[in-house]
Amino acid sequence: MRRDAIAGLAVAAASLFLFWLTLGLEKSALVPVGPGFYPRIVLGVTIALSLWLVISGLWTKQDKAPKKERLNYALVALQFGIFGLYVGALPFLGFRLATALYTAAANATLDPPRGARGWGRVLLLAVLTAFLSHLVFERYLQVLLPRGSWTGF
Amino acid sequence: MFELLGAGLADIVQLKYLTALLTGCLIGVVGGALPGITITMTVIVVLPFTFGLEPLQGLATMIGVYVGGETGGLITSCLLGIPGKPSAVATTFDGFPMARKGEPGRALWLGIWASIFGGLLGAVFLVATTGPLAAIALAFGPWEYFSLFLLALSMVAGLVESSLAKGLVSGALGCVVTILGNDPVLGQERLTLGIPFLSGGIPFLPVLIGVFAFAQIMQDVERMGGAAKALEAVDRGVNLAVSHLKVILEILSRPFLLLWSTFIGLAIGVLPAIGGSAANMLAYDQAKKFSRHPERFGTGTPEGIIASESSNNANVAGSLVTIMAFGIPGDAVTAVMLGALTVHGIQSGPLFISQHATLAYGMFAAYIVAHGLVLLLLLPGVRWMLRIVTIPKSMLFPVVLVLCTIGAYALNNTMDNVYVLLVFGVFGYAMVKFRFPLAPFILGVILGDQIEINLIRAIMTDPNPWLFLTRPISGGLIAASVASLAFSIWQHYRHRARVAEADADF
Amino acid sequence: MKALPIIAAGLAALAASLAQAQYPDRPIKLIVPWAAGGDTDVIYRTFAPLMQKALGGTIVVANVGGASGTKGAKEAQSSPPDGYTIFAVHDSIHSTYYTGVADVNYTDFEPICLVSSTPSIVTASPKTPWTDMKSLLADAKARPGQITVGATLGSTSHFFPAMVEQAAGIKFKYVSYEGTAPRMNALLGGHIDLAESNLTQKGKADAGQLKFLAIASDKRLPEVPNVPTLKELGIDVEYAVNRGLLAPKGTPRAALDKLRAACAAGARDAGFPEAMKKHGTLVRYLDPAAYTAFLQRNDKENKDLAKELGMLKR
Repeated sequence: MRRDAIAGLAVAAASLFLFWLTLGLEKSALVPVGPGFYPRIVLGVTIALSLWLVISGLWTKQDKAPKKERLNYALVALQFGIFGLYVGALPFLGFRLATALYTAAANATLDPPRGARGWGRVLLLAVLTAFLSHLVFERYLQVLLPRGSWTGF
Repeated sequence: MFELLGAGLADIVQLKYLTALLTGCLIGVVGGALPGITITMTVIVVLPFTFGLEPLQGLATMIGVYVGGETGGLITSCLLGIPGKPSAVATTFDGFPMARKGEPGRALWLGIWASIFGGLLGAVFLVATTGPLAAIALAFGPWEYFSLFLLALSMVAGLVESSLAKGLVSGALGCVVTILGNDPVLGQERLTLGIPFLSGGIPFLPVLIGVFAFAQIMQDVERMGGAAKALEAVDRGVNLAVSHLKVILEILSRPFLLLWSTFIGLAIGVLPAIGGSAANMLAYDQAKKFSRHPERFGTGTPEGIIASESSNNANVAGSLVTIMAFGIPGDAVTAVMLGALTVHGIQSGPLFISQHATLAYGMFAAYIVAHGLVLLLLLPGVRWMLRIVTIPKSMLFPVVLVLCTIGAYALNNTMDNVYVLLVFGVFGYAMVKFRFPLAPFILGVILGDQIEINLIRAIMTDPNPWLFLTRPISGGLIAASVASLAFSIWQHYRHRARVAEADADF
Repeated sequence: MKALPIIAAGLAALAASLAQAQYPDRPIKLIVPWAAGGDTDVIYRTFAPLMQKALGGTIVVANVGGASGTKGAKEAQSSPPDGYTIFAVHDSIHSTYYTGVADVNYTDFEPICLVSSTPSIVTASPKTPWTDMKSLLADAKARPGQITVGATLGSTSHFFPAMVEQAAGIKFKYVSYEGTAPRMNALLGGHIDLAESNLTQKGKADAGQLKFLAIASDKRLPEVPNVPTLKELGIDVEYAVNRGLLAPKGTPRAALDKLRAACAAGARDAGFPEAMKKHGTLVRYLDPAAYTAFLQRNDKENKDLAKELGMLKR
């Protein structure tokens, strides 16, 4: 299968690069084999295995005709994007603010709200998720959540 | 042992533990019943809550989730024909036809009671073997651990997916994650790629959370359109009345089936990282082979339901044995438990049961009591479960991901782990799209550091490399891993034509 | 979008003014750079409530483990110096600095106070033939470089046996076992011969699962009257793991004063010594001035030691 061969090549290339990096590692005085010893074994094995994957991928000629199913990749990308923004914003906006924004955005994009009722649902979910989880974790479970460096909140 | 178990039972029925266990069971049943939410994801969601609890409270919650999830998954399997989780797939084969033939109550309660019996039989094994196995494990030096981890990796890589090469590459990639950033022996930086937060290495829990949560959720998101359709209307008026005595007798009149399915579940559970999805399919397959009426399978025969459900609950007990005696997670759920133990500073491994006897027997007791609690929850609550599965995923997913974020953050109280979560979320989804199995990857991430540490320890203790082969236990384990690889190569050749690529589950 | 930073700044200013009004107005994060359940963690989980009483605010222990305790040190160093982050330190901060494991040193922090001191004990596996320190020394002289010692390399559990090595003129072989728990497992299973431990392992020693050979305190401890000190045996080594609290450099004076007062009150709490005894630890309070002097002396000793052991990287 072509896809396997491509994946195998990517893995092999990345491992080869890392292997090259391990060559620069100094030996340490305390451990007889040094910090590069095990990485070289792992990367060597990974390179060998991924080359096997490339060969067996090319050997097996034909992909089985994949089931035609329309998958909504745009939505997946959007969700990853929104989550990425959330993670990026957390240390600046703080947990409560960022979480409320994220939950609202994710919910609204997964199920676009119609009318005031729909927006009410989005808002309620966002506020509840952010503040309830903050309350439970900081107040009752002694788990501190990120505070915003811009907001102090 | 029995005094300790008695003390454990006395502990667990205290209000603070019982509440935790009951909450866990409830969340587990709900999470197991929700299609698209696996038990792994449920236990990930519960993880951050356990940070602030006592160790036994936290673990009781997780055990409750585990047992509840295995049982809860059968509700949607039987009544809607949708497996609530991968380890209930085989339950749909006969549970749903039976329900459609007008016996939904019988299908459901056959499954529930079979789960309870399988689980309780598993408990006997759990309590009886953990101690002796731990004593054996204490004799394990670095050589033996190294070989044991190698065996675990090669077995998982060979067993979970139709392509051995992909399984092995996936496992190797898991180990590659652990070599980045930091050398576990001296704590020296290595291969940091110039990324500052890599300098401390990559902890396995955020990787696990990211890979499983995103791989699962995004596969569902793919299928959501602009107008996401809710689950088709559920017939809440369905009649679930049944004679429990009759159902119990129906199960107990097939003692061989029950015992054999339980045994399969246990065996699969003890083997690292294979998980309940393999257990229920294998048990179903075996039940069919041994049956006098194999043609009835798939049409609503009770044997199919009993085999599937007793094996997946016994699988939980098997996984608990592995993690408590050896400190190796039997599947993703126990890997999260391992993380919870570590957060509380408890080293799981051969000394766990003797050093933390109260906790260990508390866990046994929690496992046993959880079955009773699940039954108590389901007796009045089954109908209510049908209502819960209609919660829209568009609301569920953001909340689940927020809880995953909290879990990753609270683990070490740094944003670094949240970044790891995001990166490996993308990576896990990519793996699924390239049809790489996730289980060997995760096992590699979990064991990679341990493999290195034990390898270095062995070399520092004695530089002779042949010790890995000449020490009897270590040599035996290496031979077993070679045999398991050879077996899977042979099996793949035999099955190549037949086996379609299974969806990544776990 | 331009308004956002302005609003944010406004909120921050508001929060800051509130914070100045009444420190502490939110939980204080106490970074413990080791896994939960370790000695440091246990000690501070006992100490935090006592300190809280005097402080009038909550202290939450946050375990930031990894990389020989340097991950948490880096995290503490880079935290905002607002009095809401404090750092649980022990001697390894000096050794990891000089052996080149991390760039963080005690000079990146303001001292709050020293809390406790845990004397080290030479501990042997039950599978070894030695009955006391003398037989160990004789055996070590006969087989140089063959007796295996489990240690977190470059940290206190490595420095202590290395000091014994030097004082007694013997040579060990070191094997990496990071953390007390794995070391004790390996001792029990006989996979290593020796390791550093402390009184927390007394239960196992009493049960015959471990052997205490000698203690590195200046005189015998009442908890283990039969364990001789190294000094009695003519090995001039005194060693203990000392734990204290630090705050990031630049923490406001007012917050520091409050923290120092609370730390002193916590260390003088009547129940504290008894609670610490369970963890094999002695209470050792030093005020900020004395603690500063202590840190300076300790730092120099560690530098010299690293040099003598050939591990000095700076």
